[in-house]
Amino acid sequence: MATYDLTPRIAPNLDRHLVFPLLEFLQEQQLYPDEQILKAKIELLNNTNMVDYAMDIHKSLYHTDDVPQDMVDRRVEVVARLKALEDAAAPLVTFLQNPSAVQELRSDKQYNLQMLKDRYQIGPDQIEALYQYAKFQFECGNYSGAADYLYQYRALCTNSERSLSALWGKLAAEILMQNWDIALEELNCLKEIIDSKSFSSPLNQVQSRIWLMHWSLFIFFNHDNGRTQIIDLFNQDKYLNAIQTSAPHLLRYLATAFIVNKRRRPQFKEFIKVIQQDQCSYKDPITEFLACVYVNYEFDGAQKKMKECEEVILNDPFLGKRVEEGNFSTVPLKDEFLENARLFIFETYCRIHQRIDMKVLFEKLNLNYEEGERWIVNLIRNSKLDAKIDTEMGTVIMEPNQPNVYEQLIDHAKALQGRTYKLVGQLLEHAQAQPAR
Amino acid sequence: MSSSNHKALNAMKQKLKKNNKQYEELINKYRENPESEEEKFEEEEEEEDEDESGSELEDPSQIPESSDEDDEGEELDDDAGDGAWEKKLSKKEKLMDREFKKDPSEITWDTVNKKFKEVMAARGRKGTGKFEQVEQLTFLTKVAKTPAQKLEILFSVISAQFDVNPGLSGHMPINVWKKCVQNMLVILDILVQYPNIVVDDMVEPDENETQKGADHDGTIRVWGNLVAFLERIDNEFFKSLQCIDPHTREYVERLRDEPLFLVVAQNVQEYLERIGDLKSAAKVALRRVELVYYKPQEVYDAMRKLAELSGDGEKDGDETKVEEARGPSSFVVTPEVVSRKPTFPDNSRALMDILVTLIYKSGDERTKALAMLCDIYHHALFDEFSIARDLLLMSHLQDNIQHMDVSTQILFNRAMAQVGLCAFRVGLIAEGHGCLSELYSGGRVKELLAQGVSQNRYHEKTPEQERLERRRQMPYHMHINLELLEAVHLISAMLLEVPNMAANSLDAKRKVISKTFRRLLELSERQTFTGPPENVRDHVMAATRALCKGDFQKALDVINSLDVWKLLRNRESVLEMLKAKIKEEALRTYLFTYCSSYDTVSLDQLTKMFDLSDAQVHSMVSKMLVNEELHASWDQPTRCIVFHDVEYSRLQALAFQLTEKLSILAESNERAVEARIGGGGLDLPLRRRDNQEYAPGTGGGGRWPDVSYNQGRQGGSGRTAYSGGGRPMALGQASRDRSSGQSRGTGGYSGRSGSGMRGSQMDASARMVSLNRGVRG
Repeated sequence: MATYDLTPRIAPNLDRHLVFPLLEFLQEQQLYPDEQILKAKIELLNNTNMVDYAMDIHKSLYHTDDVPQDMVDRRVEVVARLKALEDAAAPLVTFLQNPSAVQELRSDKQYNLQMLKDRYQIGPDQIEALYQYAKFQFECGNYSGAADYLYQYRALCTNSERSLSALWGKLAAEILMQNWDIALEELNCLKEIIDSKSFSSPLNQVQSRIWLMHWSLFIFFNHDNGRTQIIDLFNQDKYLNAIQTSAPHLLRYLATAFIVNKRRRPQFKEFIKVIQQDQCSYKDPITEFLACVYVNYEFDGAQKKMKECEEVILNDPFLGKRVEEGNFSTVPLKDEFLENARLFIFETYCRIHQRIDMKVLFEKLNLNYEEGERWIVNLIRNSKLDAKIDTEMGTVIMEPNQPNVYEQLIDHAKALQGRTYKLVGQLLEHAQAQPAR
Repeated sequence: MSSSNHKALNAMKQKLKKNNKQYEELINKYRENPESEEEKFEEEEEEEDEDESGSELEDPSQIPESSDEDDEGEELDDDAGDGAWEKKLSKKEKLMDREFKKDPSEITWDTVNKKFKEVMAARGRKGTGKFEQVEQLTFLTKVAKTPAQKLEILFSVISAQFDVNPGLSGHMPINVWKKCVQNMLVILDILVQYPNIVVDDMVEPDENETQKGADHDGTIRVWGNLVAFLERIDNEFFKSLQCIDPHTREYVERLRDEPLFLVVAQNVQEYLERIGDLKSAAKVALRRVELVYYKPQEVYDAMRKLAELSGDGEKDGDETKVEEARGPSSFVVTPEVVSRKPTFPDNSRALMDILVTLIYKSGDERTKALAMLCDIYHHALFDEFSIARDLLLMSHLQDNIQHMDVSTQILFNRAMAQVGLCAFRVGLIAEGHGCLSELYSGGRVKELLAQGVSQNRYHEKTPEQERLERRRQMPYHMHINLELLEAVHLISAMLLEVPNMAANSLDAKRKVISKTFRRLLELSERQTFTGPPENVRDHVMAATRALCKGDFQKALDVINSLDVWKLLRNRESVLEMLKAKIKEEALRTYLFTYCSSYDTVSLDQLTKMFDLSDAQVHSMVSKMLVNEELHASWDQPTRCIVFHDVEYSRLQALAFQLTEKLSILAESNERAVEARIGGGGLDLPLRRRDNQEYAPGTGGGGRWPDVSYNQGRQGGSGRTAYSGGGRPMALGQASRDRSSGQSRGTGGYSGRSGSGMRGSQMDASARMVSLNRGVRG
């Protein structure tokens, strides 16, 4: 199943630290040999300051207690640098830790800066040091500290570039701490900045959007309301264009969100077109499923794809999130997906059929007879389906929904009336205007 | 006039002024009484000759010695045929030689410079032979004292070689062209060897700049423009291919010279990149792109091999020749520094990528647009439809192509045609048709692709226009096969239009996909007897007739019998694709046409009839059902399609008719009111507007006030079939705009170049005969 694994395509668009959860997931799924993943982890850690963690992994990878010298050296170096940065940022940190002092801050940045300078001798250098310190904290894996400092930094910082990267940092930290609500706020904030800011080249802007979308996957598939919001974000023209040009693999997530979400019909039709267009650049069972149902009307194919989709969802780090309930662990998204996918197939199937053999139908939907009959009865009772069951023959018979002749006639005539009214109105207006002239 | 030519003219004017100062007296005298000019001029020349010959007599022993050296020059003059000419030329040659032969050590920079100025001053004058001038200058390069001087003289040699060109419509003699290329290489040798020499055409350099020797440190500025020369060389190459009859051996021989040019271009580009002039490098890169983009991989490989082979063979030959010509007296020996062999990556895509990336990075707008189009063309050639399409869409070239110059438009048309072919090959019929229909809507494909002059029977072209058009023609080897293009266009139109016609058989006017196709079909239907198909059009029409009845096998046979398919590389797969498409469309057509005759149709019957699989038929029919093209539904247990006849009772039908009539009445009311009060504020319903668009000839003429359209109209009124009057199509508009842009562009261009061209042509025509003969000898 490794063929459908998107990690290699997603990882380059993430922060180093954000890749860890993905690797953890892959390790659990055992898609790749353990050794490979551990190596990848060390590789990742090389450029971070989480040296202790790297040492642990090294030990478990090679089953030794020895640690290579360069790691030890690096540890010393990191600790030294941490110390230095801590010292540099100390005045500001102590100020910020003093609640009564913080009370003095106001919403006016200029005032704050002036005040800090006058009363606490804290200048731009210290503020800059705070940023560096926060960044270092983040690299060491102390995300909560980093998030706090970055928040404070943003309140004081005047450089918009720096402020932006602080925001990215904050978002990453919040994601890693799994504070989804706060992360979502940060995400929206960042999105606004990206959309409104004038970038040096359109390419940069697209790149930022791509990053944003990749990072947002963490939030959307964990937040309660995420599945509607992912559609809101990804399906905007600008973002959809970015997906189509540079990151077509994101279509998987958008497709899944569309399938799981029933209330997005109008956009869904547009999205089908996108899928059709991009079939050459990206394909996976989920998009193929949609193509089968809505482009080619191949129901057998759709059914096959549905089974593949199940696998894909289970092995996707974002989609296959597990929920532990007592002794069971379930993947809620999978069940929801299958239910909706079934409904999709059935809906389209009914539209073009007048009589359907229930046995065949249930086969297509991966249901047994009893279950299926109940399902259909429920659909009919909720008046979602205009049909009757013929038990003797074992078929479902659709009610034909031909447009009524009289309705059509009325439609035709209705327009006439309106037009004539308008015409008369205009004539009268004209007639009144004439004598006045 | 291009900027380089302009500069050259200015420079020449100044030189002429300087030169004339010496003869100010004489000129003034001449102006006073012009009739005695001829005599005096001749006298003066004779005097000069005598002067020099006097000195020559002093040292008679030198004569026989140097005569060997002159052989080449004399040979040429022998062939010139004209006795008088011959004498004069050879005498002068000898003089030149002798002057410098006397003693190599005596030759100084000054003497060379003086002579150089003298020769240059003679350029373009009535009495100077162009060929002879080239010879003189070439000789001077041998005796040049400093590299910079040699460079300066070489530049003049090349310009003089360009002068040899007999007029704008003809091309440069091929061997002169080759020498020109060699000279360019030597220039590059010098430039690479002495990096302190800078070529520049922006500043007028010092008189004595070139006196600085090879060991001078600091930059030496020499006047010249490498890119302009290179572009000129390329243009001449292009022109020669335009002129030579493509069915002769000569054409093939000429094509073999392509690697020669590529070498120079490559070296120039490398040089420019090294000195950091990326903008010019991009221009050169574009020239290279233009030689590569239309080549399929096979042709590219052939060129690569040829370049490797001839690179070896020709190199030796040329070397000895150049060496000989240079003779023993070459003071500044330039070793060959730059490579004489072009290097090609294995894959033409790789080469294109390198070049195009450079251009995108540092080219100007026009260069970028052209490179983009070439890139698109190349991708399309390699069946990369989606990449080509994305490039085309992202570049937004479609939006403003009307405002670009004619050659860009031609390239755009070519790219579109190629993208259309590509779409067809990969089975995207609708996309292919979209690309091609615009080209065919005006019936001027040849003109739009610059592959031949199409006769416009309504409007005579002025000779000027015709000449310009001829100069824009693509050389034969770059042509897109028109028959194939037509076949692809018509077949894709057929595949789209036949089911469409069947679906809307009642109101045929309502939805037309391809006007061209409809018109052709109408024409062929009007024939009393239809013979066996001869050309592409007949074939497609025959296939259409079969397809209309749902007879896919016959349609397929007719299409397969077209012999243009042999031009396709992946012929088998394309025909396979075509077969599948024809079957599908036959099925659709059949269902549309005969649905009223059936109550139910079984799936098995359909699969048998159209030789399709169950799944395919099911999917096709389902698609039609979902799109509500067909009022029917599946009956799954019996595997049948059940048609719902949406038949109305008599009363209902009458009621519909009534409403229809009422709406017409309302419409005419609205129109009447509109005419009275002036439609300004009328907020008419949308439907009415639609109708107006389809109404024949309503106010079309006023909307497109450009020339070609009006001409079309005048002619169109006579020919009903073409119904030229009111064609308010959105598609036609673009191509029409393009044509008007074309004529506008040409007008401007001819105005500027015309006068200069005529002058040089007259001058050249007298000499053309002798020159050509000289060249062949």
